[in-house]
Amino acid sequence: MKNKKVIIALLDNLIWPLLILIVIIFHFISDKFLTTFNITNILIHAAVLGILTVGQSFTLITGNFDLSAESTLAIAALIGAWLILPSEAPNFGGDIFLPVGLAIIALLVLGLIAGWINGFLITRLKMNNFIVTLAMMIILRGFMLVISEGNTMSGLPDAFKALGHNDLGKIPVSVLMMVIVFIIAHIIMQYTQFGRNLYAVGGNRDAALAAGISPDKHTRQVYLISGFLAALGGLMLAGRTGVICENMGSGMIFEIQAAAVIGGISLQGGRGMMLGAFGGVLLLSIIDSGLSLMRVSSFWIEIFSGLIILVAMTIDAQKVRYSTIPTVESKLSIKKAE
Amino acid sequence: MSKTDKYVIEMHDVVKTFPGVRALNHVDFKLKEGEIRSIVGKNGAGKSTLMNILSGIYQPDHGDILVKGQLIKPMTTEKARKLGISYVHQQSQLVPALSIAENIFLGDLLTEKTGFVNWKKVRTEAEAQLGELDLTIDVQRKVEDLSIAEKQLIEIAKALFANAHTIILDEATAPLPKEDVQMLFDFVKRMSAQGVAFIYISHYLVEVFELCKAVTVLRDGKKVGDHSVSDLDQPELIHLISGEKVETFHRKHHKLNEEKVLEFRNLSKSGHYKNINFALNKGEIIGLTGLEGSGKTKLIRGLFGLEPFAEFGEITVDGSMFDAKDPEKAINEGIAYLPRDRHGLGIIGARPVSENITLSILKRLVNKLGFLILSNERKHVENYVDKLGIITPSIDQRVQFLSGGNQQKVVFAKLASTEPKVLLLDEPTQGVDVQAKEEIMKIVDQLSHQGIGVIIVSEEIRELMDVCDRIIVFFDGEIVKEFNTKDRSTTAEKVLMAIEGETKKK
Repeated sequence: MKNKKVIIALLDNLIWPLLILIVIIFHFISDKFLTTFNITNILIHAAVLGILTVGQSFTLITGNFDLSAESTLAIAALIGAWLILPSEAPNFGGDIFLPVGLAIIALLVLGLIAGWINGFLITRLKMNNFIVTLAMMIILRGFMLVISEGNTMSGLPDAFKALGHNDLGKIPVSVLMMVIVFIIAHIIMQYTQFGRNLYAVGGNRDAALAAGISPDKHTRQVYLISGFLAALGGLMLAGRTGVICENMGSGMIFEIQAAAVIGGISLQGGRGMMLGAFGGVLLLSIIDSGLSLMRVSSFWIEIFSGLIILVAMTIDAQKVRYSTIPTVESKLSIKKAE
Repeated sequence: MSKTDKYVIEMHDVVKTFPGVRALNHVDFKLKEGEIRSIVGKNGAGKSTLMNILSGIYQPDHGDILVKGQLIKPMTTEKARKLGISYVHQQSQLVPALSIAENIFLGDLLTEKTGFVNWKKVRTEAEAQLGELDLTIDVQRKVEDLSIAEKQLIEIAKALFANAHTIILDEATAPLPKEDVQMLFDFVKRMSAQGVAFIYISHYLVEVFELCKAVTVLRDGKKVGDHSVSDLDQPELIHLISGEKVETFHRKHHKLNEEKVLEFRNLSKSGHYKNINFALNKGEIIGLTGLEGSGKTKLIRGLFGLEPFAEFGEITVDGSMFDAKDPEKAINEGIAYLPRDRHGLGIIGARPVSENITLSILKRLVNKLGFLILSNERKHVENYVDKLGIITPSIDQRVQFLSGGNQQKVVFAKLASTEPKVLLLDEPTQGVDVQAKEEIMKIVDQLSHQGIGVIIVSEEIRELMDVCDRIIVFFDGEIVKEFNTKDRSTTAEKVLMAIEGETKKK
């Protein structure tokens, strides 16, 4: 029993020793690694991932997930730009010429709508969250192609790019945004009734219901949060790159989930802290940057990303294995494994 | 009668240590051919460990196992099966979505030369095989539609088809309906007469007395003794199990407050219950009992908003009309519910003791800005941990690491925190050991003294007799009898008769 608790505590906080280890390794491999320039770069790349990981963590903690986040990010950025830009090349906008402020509001609302639809289908129509968000991911990506007709939009106005591109003093605004979002999320989860309710819903849905907490209401709310943050991430990513192409954010969902899970947020729901997810975001960004510094081919980076996801899920599975009451069947399988 | 005095199972000097605990301390265990022997003890006394060693799931640190006089070393699960030892678990090992016949021939369905399954043959074979055991049951029924007792029957039958001579029967977590128990016990007794030995593990001592001839008592990993059931009565057995004289708790009757806190008027829900009329006074404890499906559970779950409630009738809570909608509303109006299924609806295992206890009252623990005042929460939790005697290393401990009895107390603390007017308890002592049962009953008594009206739904008549002021008996959706436990004429036998529907046919 004691051992089990130690193992679980270790698995829950594994992110921090991992993080230190990886920094030390890259520091010895490349002397460029721990420079202000490189660290700033890592953080800028971490910003969008971080914002989306927060959104995803909210859904994961309630025992859900949101696969559509990466498409929401892309479509929000695209629609925002489309509402501003003229239609000729290389802008490929919609000739609507909306003021930038309104366009930003519109794209954030779009994120909320995507989240609302997810929540509605899952809680009101009792559909499976995997199927719903997967379908949403495909549909939104499809809309993106329809609207952009496969063109890459560019020539975004500076005001639209501000969040992803500007600095406040020496600090990039996007990094500041990420840190603020993480702090708010952390406070919500640890110090408010809403946060506690989310843990309860994810930890044991039926018990939460019996304690007077509506699982469905809270599920709808986390999808709204996830949709909103995905749209915000889209705005930031568009600002950083200055262009919007059809495959923007494509495949990012795996990185997002890996960051959350390796940071201790369990796929089982009800477990993990935003602080840990922040560590997960840093870890993934550092590995990405470190491998690039080492001039590892992008094909190999791809393989590494896959491995990281596998490692994250392995840790999560062990956590679940150690924290559930062993049934005779699982004892049997352990026995056989010996 | 082919019974002999030969031992089929002998376990000598078994020791098993888990990190930090000596689960079994030099335990001997013997079982004769055709014997029905029960192993009893508190949670953690070593019952399951001993059986897991016998069936090869665990390896002992020390000690020998002899099957029919032959030393088996090491015992493995495959060997145990081959040697005729079968373990029928609490959780069914049958495939729920398949029929009885398919489960019987699982992995070995009778096929034609063409490779297709010969369903007719599967059916007739299954019927024939069960017939040999004197079991008549529709083999096309799906296992998921069977009662727990029926599932156990099928599992025992399966074990017997595989030539088992020793069957370990782990208690069903829920008390089985009376007629099902009878069916199961009759079958077990019949098989034992034919030479099959049974090891029966149970918390329900009444059933132990009914079924078994002999009993082995374990306490804290040591064997207390082997006894013949005829030499013992229930209090003596409880004494042996707990190692100390457990006072069975008995509520002192006191003058009841006449103020009604909950009243049902003409409540009906078609197919479940009809014309339910009764009132609960402040500080009163009422027991609702009856067979499985008699409507008592539906009634209180409906009142709390966990399932659709009555279509007709009125309820008043503390004088004002109440409309059951969802648990949130029920809690706000002063109704608390302790679920039968602690793991399903009670605790959130992955979260700490503190969060579990304050789950329903967080809005009282926030400041003006909506942030939780953690120091107040801590104070509240420590107060309850102290008051209810919850044994935990710290209030930050995850509830899943507490014992069953302590988990149940955490649920009580959560409910009491809401300061309810009415407390609904659905089988509150299920799956907790004898001592924890008494403690829980004491807590219920204390709460009632604070003016809370309590309804206990239970099939444990003796417990209800000890703690309730009144017992209301349901039969087939109706209230058929009400007993006042103060009356000397109220006996467990009379309550039992009412449960079985005797009074209805007056």
